[in-house]
Amino acid sequence: MSVCALQIGSSLVSSLIDLAQTAPAEPKAAFSMIAFANQLLNGVGIVGILLLTGLGLAITFGVMRIINLAHGEFIMLGAYVSFVLQSAFKMDLLLTIPFAFLFTALVGAVVELTIIRRLYGRPLETLLATWGLSIVMQGIVKLIFTAQLKYVKAPPYIRGNLTVFGSGEQAVEISYYRLFIVVVALLLLALTAFLLYKTSLGREVRAVTQSREMAKCLGVNTSLIDMATFAYGCGLAGIAGSVISSLKSVAPPMGQDYLVDAWMTVVAGGVDKLVGVLAGAALIGESKAAIAFLLDDPAARVIVLAALIILIRYRPEGLFTIQKRA
Amino acid sequence: MTEVVGRIRPASNVPTRLLLFGGIALLIFCIFPFVAGEFQTNLMAKLLLFGALGVSLDLVWGFTGILSFAHGVFFTLGGYVAAYYLKLNLSASANNYGGTLPDFMVWNGLTELPWFIAPLQFFPVAAIAMLLIPAGFAYVIGWFIFRSKVSGVYITIITLAISSALTTFFISQQAYTGGTNGITDVSKLSLLGIVIPPIGLYFIILFFTAALIAGGWWLTQSNFGLILRSIKENEKRISYLGYDVAGFKIFIWTLSAAIAGIAGGLFVPLNRFISPVYLAVAFGTQVVIWVAVGGRGTLFGPLIAAILLGQVQNSVDRITQDWQLIVGFILLLVVLFLPDGLMSLLPKPLRFTENNQVTGYLPPAPKKR
Repeated sequence: MSVCALQIGSSLVSSLIDLAQTAPAEPKAAFSMIAFANQLLNGVGIVGILLLTGLGLAITFGVMRIINLAHGEFIMLGAYVSFVLQSAFKMDLLLTIPFAFLFTALVGAVVELTIIRRLYGRPLETLLATWGLSIVMQGIVKLIFTAQLKYVKAPPYIRGNLTVFGSGEQAVEISYYRLFIVVVALLLLALTAFLLYKTSLGREVRAVTQSREMAKCLGVNTSLIDMATFAYGCGLAGIAGSVISSLKSVAPPMGQDYLVDAWMTVVAGGVDKLVGVLAGAALIGESKAAIAFLLDDPAARVIVLAALIILIRYRPEGLFTIQKRA
Repeated sequence: MTEVVGRIRPASNVPTRLLLFGGIALLIFCIFPFVAGEFQTNLMAKLLLFGALGVSLDLVWGFTGILSFAHGVFFTLGGYVAAYYLKLNLSASANNYGGTLPDFMVWNGLTELPWFIAPLQFFPVAAIAMLLIPAGFAYVIGWFIFRSKVSGVYITIITLAISSALTTFFISQQAYTGGTNGITDVSKLSLLGIVIPPIGLYFIILFFTAALIAGGWWLTQSNFGLILRSIKENEKRISYLGYDVAGFKIFIWTLSAAIAGIAGGLFVPLNRFISPVYLAVAFGTQVVIWVAVGGRGTLFGPLIAAILLGQVQNSVDRITQDWQLIVGFILLLVVLFLPDGLMSLLPKPLRFTENNQVTGYLPPAPKKR
């Protein structure tokens, strides 16, 4: 057994070596600080997207311990809400965001009532059911809107680039749109933290997660809290979808692209504190950008995912969690 | 590892009705290709392999409680090995470029065969690699995740990430893997210089699947199977009794990956191509669905589900393009209302799961030296 482990080990190493050898063969400009700085700012954009897509999971998984594999499809729903409102009523993208939140939160509430509620305390069953749900949601959206790619236009006032310093070829800049994503993500993070830690509703939510029975005894309507929390998490995914809808195209399978990365963000950062998502997003986003600069995009994705698997192995509770006694 | 293997003792008894039904089923499958046309024979061979893949997942999920989305990956790794072998043995006239170098390598500017692919042109090497590469990969992962405090759900998320990362990796390494298209236009499988006809391939696959079912039954009904089921029921308790839980998990995980790899290797001569589609999470999900719909821990369930769903898909595909939607609904309904799968609809004597309760005596745990 150890022999074959060695074999596969050496073949893996060799393919990694090939990866390293083939990458510099492409014509690439010499290492320049300007390009590197641009890439780091690009990384800030990735951090924003990760934070935005991971935040909803931080609620559903972090607070409620629900394994929601349909999270990507809630993102997709949010994007479609924006698309529909924009193409039907010529609405500004920013104005569609609240509707995306409301609609996905509503769908989330229905899902909680009909599916999640039956499966509390059985994480693997929840995982399977939500995976089935994600296939169903993709299928229904495909039935209604076909598999064709749809496009959402960004409002004119957040187009263009913000120049940080330099000019012309030497400029270090970030697009306003990516900046907008980061700002929305940070605002939502702050709002969620406020709701969770500073309001009586948030106190009830935390009470239910800590001890459902005790909270019930003290008069908390636990099933209502469950539904509201899950709906809020899904609503956040909807906002994420709406905000990133004009970044790429909108299509039924788009949620899948964000699912694994969003999960990795939440798991890497640790879920006990909300700020863990920010840490996870920053770590993954910037290391992805840096590795993509040195090698290429697929290599960055593979290396970061491999590193995260190793991270989960040694710290399943996440990087930024205070060790607790079991 | 030797300690784990030492646990495998033969099953006490095989019920006569199992022999009876198994024999009848085998007979039907033997007659099938002579009654049905070539298309149906090929389809059935494919579904038997998918069923075998489902059975391999059932060993780790249904019996040991580890849900994996990575079994499609093990299957596809075996498939790529077989595809390299068949591609490198294309006769010079059949190869578009007349040389020995596969076409996708020529297109991507390779001038000679990479040294780590070259040995795969020899049958014995390819046959062994088909088994060892998926098993070795699984062993590394298994050693890595099971010897840690990573718990159930995280393991599943790790398998998702592995599948996602490998898909990206295989697509990006176009010169070596054929990129998105994968390896296409492979030669027909020939053994000892004779080209195997489709019906021969069908019987090879039938033999493999039947052997897998028989071996799986023997394994799961043995003391070893009892320990696996006990791990699923209560892992902590088994480890308090002195068993090396991680060792058992790694063993069954590696074994099941090897089975998946062989299934993948047999799939390529039948399918005539392999591509990253089979690495992707969507295919891994298919495998999970066969097991969930058939019934976890039933061994026969995944095979029945794979054949049933495959045949239904084949007939439905002509009517609607939305097969995925139907599959999603089926998965959702099964999880919510039929957690033990289709097998639980059968009358009890036909489920052959009565020995699957954790009863009886566990063999004494090995002494620690």
